[in-house]
Amino acid sequence: MQGSDDTAPGLGVALDVDLQSRPDALLAVALLNGLSAKGEASRICLSISRPSLTTARLADVIAEFYATLPLNAGVSTIGMPDGTPPTPDAPALAAVLARKNADGTPVYASNVQRQVDTAESAVLMRNLLLAQPDGNAAIVLAGPATGLARLLGLFGSRPQLVAKVRHLVLAAGAFRNGSAEPSLASNVAAARQLFSEWPTPLIAVGAEIGEALPYPGARLLSGLAWSAAHPIADAYCALRSMPYDAPTTALAALLHAVHPDAGYFKLSEPGTIAVLDDGRTRFMPSTSGRHRYLIADPAQKERLLAAYVGLVCAQPAPRPARFKPPAVAATPANVPAPTGNVAAPAARGGKP
Amino acid sequence: MSTSWKFLPRRSFLRGLGATIALPLLDAMSPALAAVPPAPRRLAFVYVPNGIDMANWTVQQDGALPAELPRVLQPLAAFREEMLQLGNLTHNSGRAWLDGAGDHGRCSGSYLTGIQVRKSSVDVKASISCDQIIANHVGAETRFASLELGMDDVRQAGDCDSGYSCAYTNNLAWRSETQPLPPILNPRALFERLFGAGPVRSPEERARRARYRRSILDFVRSDTERLAASLGPTDVRKLDEYLSSIREVERQLEKAEGDNATVDPGMQRPYGVPPDFAEHFKLMTDMVTIAFQADLTRVVTFLVTREGSNRAYREIGIPDGHHPLTHHKHNPELMEKVTRINEYHTQQLSSWLGRLRTTPDGDRSLLDHSMIVYGSGISDGNRHLHDDLPTLLIGRGAGAVPGRRITFRKETPMCNFQLTLMDRMGVHVENFGDASGRLDLASLS
Repeated sequence: MQGSDDTAPGLGVALDVDLQSRPDALLAVALLNGLSAKGEASRICLSISRPSLTTARLADVIAEFYATLPLNAGVSTIGMPDGTPPTPDAPALAAVLARKNADGTPVYASNVQRQVDTAESAVLMRNLLLAQPDGNAAIVLAGPATGLARLLGLFGSRPQLVAKVRHLVLAAGAFRNGSAEPSLASNVAAARQLFSEWPTPLIAVGAEIGEALPYPGARLLSGLAWSAAHPIADAYCALRSMPYDAPTTALAALLHAVHPDAGYFKLSEPGTIAVLDDGRTRFMPSTSGRHRYLIADPAQKERLLAAYVGLVCAQPAPRPARFKPPAVAATPANVPAPTGNVAAPAARGGKP
Repeated sequence: MSTSWKFLPRRSFLRGLGATIALPLLDAMSPALAAVPPAPRRLAFVYVPNGIDMANWTVQQDGALPAELPRVLQPLAAFREEMLQLGNLTHNSGRAWLDGAGDHGRCSGSYLTGIQVRKSSVDVKASISCDQIIANHVGAETRFASLELGMDDVRQAGDCDSGYSCAYTNNLAWRSETQPLPPILNPRALFERLFGAGPVRSPEERARRARYRRSILDFVRSDTERLAASLGPTDVRKLDEYLSSIREVERQLEKAEGDNATVDPGMQRPYGVPPDFAEHFKLMTDMVTIAFQADLTRVVTFLVTREGSNRAYREIGIPDGHHPLTHHKHNPELMEKVTRINEYHTQQLSSWLGRLRTTPDGDRSLLDHSMIVYGSGISDGNRHLHDDLPTLLIGRGAGAVPGRRITFRKETPMCNFQLTLMDRMGVHVENFGDASGRLDLASLS
């Protein structure tokens, strides 16, 4: 049976992110690559949380950019909720995708040309979660809850979520000053459904966590310079006027999802999170509650920043070489001694 | 349409000693000047195994089908205006998840059941298949709730694919989660199931009886003559064409049985199974045509050959097994053979569709009132992929405007299509398998 060997895979992460308006979501995709390169996590799927063909194309470029293995059809597909993309559709990102090489070829070629080249995010997540060992998956949301609310509504999905998903971590809400958070505000009904019906433990990461420790934008560009053209760097520059330091809410959510016991953050007491009409969140402590939220720990600031920078700027693990039959018949004298797994730790993810 | 002075019930039969023949829809079955009842819809799933050469299957542009179809579809060119090609339908249940090898057994078991079947060679578990859900609803209106046909293998026990029971590879239809409905392989057995005369007899008994053989039509001759005297000229012609088609099947059976005696005197092969693939296919589908025409059933599953089939196609000069060929590793010579097998299959399908088109059914044709679903549970047989499954919907029974290619979003569940088919058959269920909804009917019509 797959997944039953001694080398248990890292936690699988399904990432549902708003790449067209949240730089921290963009950085989270890079951070997941860093975790994958270290063998600490793997990407189950990548979906965008708003209908946008341009953003889906960018997501596809990024997914392919970081792909370390030839991907199966499902895994290589980008998820996107149903709906009509806005007009204009993410013009800042469209400009990134329009970049050309000197010979006129696109710098970033995408397989996504039409909506049918993407999957409905809820169906994609459901399908790929089923291939995960029980309890070995996490879902991280940094965007509107549209896709996850739809996932909840799929027939038979709840027992599957309970079996497969360790926890859902949302980079959403605000728990210090109680201001409205745009991701939740953009689809309050979906957010309410998520908080009231999600069947696994749920941890929210408020905007205050990301604002307390911005990501240094200048270090991002130098850290990603290992590639002459890097879609994360280009998209980051396109989303805001440079220079700027992005909040790290989505990074905190992903890091906590994969390493909840690493002590990077403190956890609130259990309770219930409610979403108000304008998108603000209210937390009500309750011993029977299934919700918690993250609390920043000033003592972890430097450690956390080092982790963010190191992981976001990591190169993908090298693709394993395809097997080629030896040119000379192998003899005991020239057969190398076995060295364990093909992807030895030393071969994984070099730091920039 | 002419009318008759005499009203004949829709479910009328010609009866004789040991034989009963259902009648097709005749004008006399419609009361004079009354509204003609709508013809029933028929649904058939025709399954081919081991995937299809997708490069020579897929129409590249959505919308109207092009003048020049991809190679595997070219035998179906005459049906361009009655055919929908559907893209990106996916059976996630066919994928491994955590169950390892066995894509053929898994995808076959899940094709119409919509769930991932239990990996076991003894303790099978699937689910009721969509054809049987339909049969449970509409089957009471016909003599047979459904018919299950095949041409390959009926073993129901043992391991047929990496730990998956032969029950998964050798059946499409499941009455319940543990009860598959084995297909009928033997045309004689199918004929006698449709028209009576008891079980298949031994070769010796068959040979002895053959010396005294008479057509089944002989047994109902007096009833036929009595009925014909009361019908108008149009109905007499329809009745004559219908009975002639039954007689033609009889002749094919007799010829096939004669061929068997020549080819294999030991008769290990079930009696009445033609050695020739095309002839076998034609016999089976001829009887489906008659069964549809006489409204003996409205639901058919036809497992052309089983998943993982190693059948050789010597008829077209391919002595290699089908399944090994599909693992071609991009060897052009092997790929070409796969394409030719795929073409050969669509040629047989085309012949059957032609007969459905020329068979009157009320004021139109059987094809106009049918939904023929042709496809496989694997797309790329070389890689065992279960997305973008090759799927055709042929006939106007869906009420759709055909002659088009429609690509849905990736990962769209095949069960969405099956839910939509159930709707079109008048069977409304809330959920099926891993469906996420219905297919957008606006895009189909």
